Amino acid sequence: MGMNALARELKRGSTELLILALLEERDCHGYELAQQIDARSRGEISFHAASLYPTLYRMEGKDLIEGRWVEKPGQRRRRYYRLTKAGTRMLASQRSVWDTFFGALDRVARIRPA
Amino acid sequence: MDWIARVCRGFEDGSAAPEPDVIAELAEHAAALHEAARADGCSPEDADRLVSVAIQRWRDEAATLTRPVRRRPAVAPPSTMAPARLLGAVAQDIGYALRLLRREPRSACLTVALLAIAIGATSALFSVAYGVLGRPLPWPGADRLVVLEETRGGSAARFGHVSNTTYLAWHDGASTLAGLAAWSTRLVTLSGSDEPERIRIVAASASLFTVLDVRPLLGALFRASDETLPVAVLSETLWRDRFGADPTILGRAIELDGQPHTVVAVMPAAVAFPDRRTQAIVPFVVPPASANSLSMFEAVALLRPGITVAQAEAEATARGRTGVDAGMTAMAIFGSRGPVRVTAQRWVDAWTADVRRPLIVLLLAVGLLLLAATASASALQLARTTGRLRELAIRAALGAGRSRVTRQLVTETVLLGAMGGAAGIALAAILNRAWLVLLPVDFPRSGDIRVDAAVMVFAAVVAVGASVASGLLPALRLRRLDLVSTLSDNGSAPVGVGRHSRQARIRAAVQVVQVAVACVLLVGASLFGRSFMALLTADRGFDIAGVLSSRLSMTASTYESPERRFAIVQHALGRLGATPGVTDAAFASEMPLTPGGSTSSLSFTSPSGEDVTAQAAPRLVSPRYFAALRLRILAGRGFSDADTSTSQPVVVVNESFARRYLGANAVGATLPMAGYAPPDRRPVETTVVGVVSDVRYVDGGTRSQPELYYCYLQLGGRLPVRTVTLFARTSSSSAVIAPAFASVVREADGRLVVDLTMPLEQRLTSTILARPRLYAAVLGVIAGIALVIAGVGLFGLVSYSVSQRSRELAIRVALGASRGSVLWLVLRHGIGITVAGIVVGIAVAAAGTRLLATQLYGIAPHDVWTFVGVPVLLLIIAGAASLVPALRAATTDPLRTLRGA
Repeated sequence: MGMNALARELKRGSTELLILALLEERDCHGYELAQQIDARSRGEISFHAASLYPTLYRMEGKDLIEGRWVEKPGQRRRRYYRLTKAGTRMLASQRSVWDTFFGALDRVARIRPA
Repeated sequence: MDWIARVCRGFEDGSAAPEPDVIAELAEHAAALHEAARADGCSPEDADRLVSVAIQRWRDEAATLTRPVRRRPAVAPPSTMAPARLLGAVAQDIGYALRLLRREPRSACLTVALLAIAIGATSALFSVAYGVLGRPLPWPGADRLVVLEETRGGSAARFGHVSNTTYLAWHDGASTLAGLAAWSTRLVTLSGSDEPERIRIVAASASLFTVLDVRPLLGALFRASDETLPVAVLSETLWRDRFGADPTILGRAIELDGQPHTVVAVMPAAVAFPDRRTQAIVPFVVPPASANSLSMFEAVALLRPGITVAQAEAEATARGRTGVDAGMTAMAIFGSRGPVRVTAQRWVDAWTADVRRPLIVLLLAVGLLLLAATASASALQLARTTGRLRELAIRAALGAGRSRVTRQLVTETVLLGAMGGAAGIALAAILNRAWLVLLPVDFPRSGDIRVDAAVMVFAAVVAVGASVASGLLPALRLRRLDLVSTLSDNGSAPVGVGRHSRQARIRAAVQVVQVAVACVLLVGASLFGRSFMALLTADRGFDIAGVLSSRLSMTASTYESPERRFAIVQHALGRLGATPGVTDAAFASEMPLTPGGSTSSLSFTSPSGEDVTAQAAPRLVSPRYFAALRLRILAGRGFSDADTSTSQPVVVVNESFARRYLGANAVGATLPMAGYAPPDRRPVETTVVGVVSDVRYVDGGTRSQPELYYCYLQLGGRLPVRTVTLFARTSSSSAVIAPAFASVVREADGRLVVDLTMPLEQRLTSTILARPRLYAAVLGVIAGIALVIAGVGLFGLVSYSVSQRSRELAIRVALGASRGSVLWLVLRHGIGITVAGIVVGIAVAAAGTRLLATQLYGIAPHDVWTFVGVPVLLLIIAGAASLVPALRAATTDPLRTLRGA
């Protein structure tokens, strides 16, 4: 498996986790989310705008996040997303799954989470 | 720039455009992208190209750019719901619950059956306990009704409870009483219009009607001035059964023991005094007091309002001491010439005193059964809920609030409880009827036992309580419902957790309760059962097996002549003895094991030279009596056909008499004849020719009394008694011999009837042993049900635990554990719980058997066999209940289990 392929697989599995984690810090709109992921991963993980919105809508459908239109003075009207209770629980559960996974990786292949 | 228009244009070439809301969001993104690119120093053309690329990709993914419609909760929470819709939702819940129960009929039926049995048994016993101990008596002022007992020098009378001297001394002008009545019961032959029939009647002073404050159903009750007249008041039962509720019965003559009595009134059935066996009431004249004479009877008094029992006792005692001195007669009847003392007890307490404690014990027992059944139903419901957690979690995930899901569960539980309760009440009504059949006829207040509003309310409260309790565990379980873990759970516990989860501990605790309850009830039932067996097989001094007895009454005026009665009995005995299958035929003036009866006083010089005044019960018997009943001859001889009017008058004394009055040299002593003196009253000296064993009553309280046996052949061809009991020791079945009694008596005189023809054993179990047998049987059934509940519960628990631990057990086997060790591992679980239950149960039983001590005969409350046997039985049941799941666990292929998991 090439590097790109691995990155794609990991990204697909982790998208939701990343979004949940970012929304845990503060409410964000879509563009902001994409920027944050790009910046935080130092460009290693970047979202095409095309795949971001379907993911957001799917998560909204599962009641993990909740979107609403907000109009701030001097800004355009934007759709902000925030975590729901179910989203908070899902984040905790996913964190523990990934934690376990990385623990196992470390024990087996000496790979540590950064 | 109009970004929305720009994005819209991007979707124009055929692909389905997203909803405006999504377009707006994408437009906002495009704007932000453009802005950022420009800020990063891109040219407007480059920034525009970036936006175009983004729009291009959105168009490629257009199908996924739809915002799903948020689902609303399936049913809004009840708090915000209009009442009409709430009703609709409840109906929906019930419909859903019914469908679910139909899908899982086994568990539902089991729960309903458990609740029905427990609620039915509890309500039925409550109806008995309430009817006997709690229900107000049907008479106004019944709580002021007291029964009296007179003692002299601290000793009670041998028969009757109040003497005529005390009664008469108190009767007039008693300041504490509103009324005082004398009464006694007797058996008479009713004849006149139909077949002769033996009935129980009450002879009572006219004041009885005032004391009881009764109104006749028909006619007018007799008054004090009528007490010497031959009149009778019929019971409603007799009036209906024998006279077909004839409205013209008043004024008609009936014959009681051959004496015509005019019917003056009919008593309502509600007033059955002293119990429902009474068929008629005739007047009773209290004999005037005279020196050296006492007449004994029963007395009942009505206290004035506000007067205490103690005040009445004080007045009666003071008045009683002013009565005529009865001299030696007091000695004969009371065994003392000491001062009179009168005690009073509330009528209903005195009446029900003997059954109070057993009924309370049975009520406690059935309460324990209710506890075990409810715990068991609760465990069943818990298991059902656990099996449905996924379903419930999905419902919650689809938007049903927790309260909504809980309400669904509560609806199901209440539905099961209601079904169990309804079935239980129906069962109670059936059991109630069975009770009335099983109850001995002399059981107090049995007429007051019925399923009425009070019992229904009780049953309803018990049903609601039991169903709520049985739904408690599942509801608690639901409070801890975790959506994610439930949905990701595959249904089997993590290795090593199966027995230690919170739920497993709750189930184990419930099971411990069930085993403990079964243990307590089994101990009680075993004690009652062993006590009953001890009563049944107790050494009574004679052999009751294989003896038929029958009562012959020659009370009508036709048999006025003692010579005629002698001839009848002699003829009947001869014919009975010649009947094939009869090895011995005999008669006695008194039925053995009938305590009381008259005693006589006799004075003589004992073999050691002392002057003795003895009290003894005289019995008239035929020569083969001792042989027929196998009474042991301890010294000398019994009677023979050679003991006749012309031979030396002889007497056989019982062990008690010999020990108390004659010492070791009883045979040969001379005694005056007591009780059956010849008509000319000349004294007859009799010689003691033998000593026989005592007839022991063994009913818990009655002691053997000194008895004197005379041979009827020595009374000059006369039979001074009117009622005798015939006995036949048989070598063939009693059913074959029984008709012989009737036929030999009819041969002697066509108008004679015998009654109460039955084996002595049956007579024993239907009289003295009737109540112990009833208590033992009822407690046995209750304990049996509790045992089944515990056994089935244990089976369910161990099976469930095995299914939860299947992976763990498979891993153990895969790692080399032997089948035997797996088998033992599972068995140990069931047996461990049972041992815990036994420890609790035995501790409770050991403390509780004190309650039973007075009800037990021939067995200690801490009977070793019971306290060892019950745990052993429970362990065997536990082993059997655990063995099936254990074998299943030990024989499962571990690989298949592991792959399947």
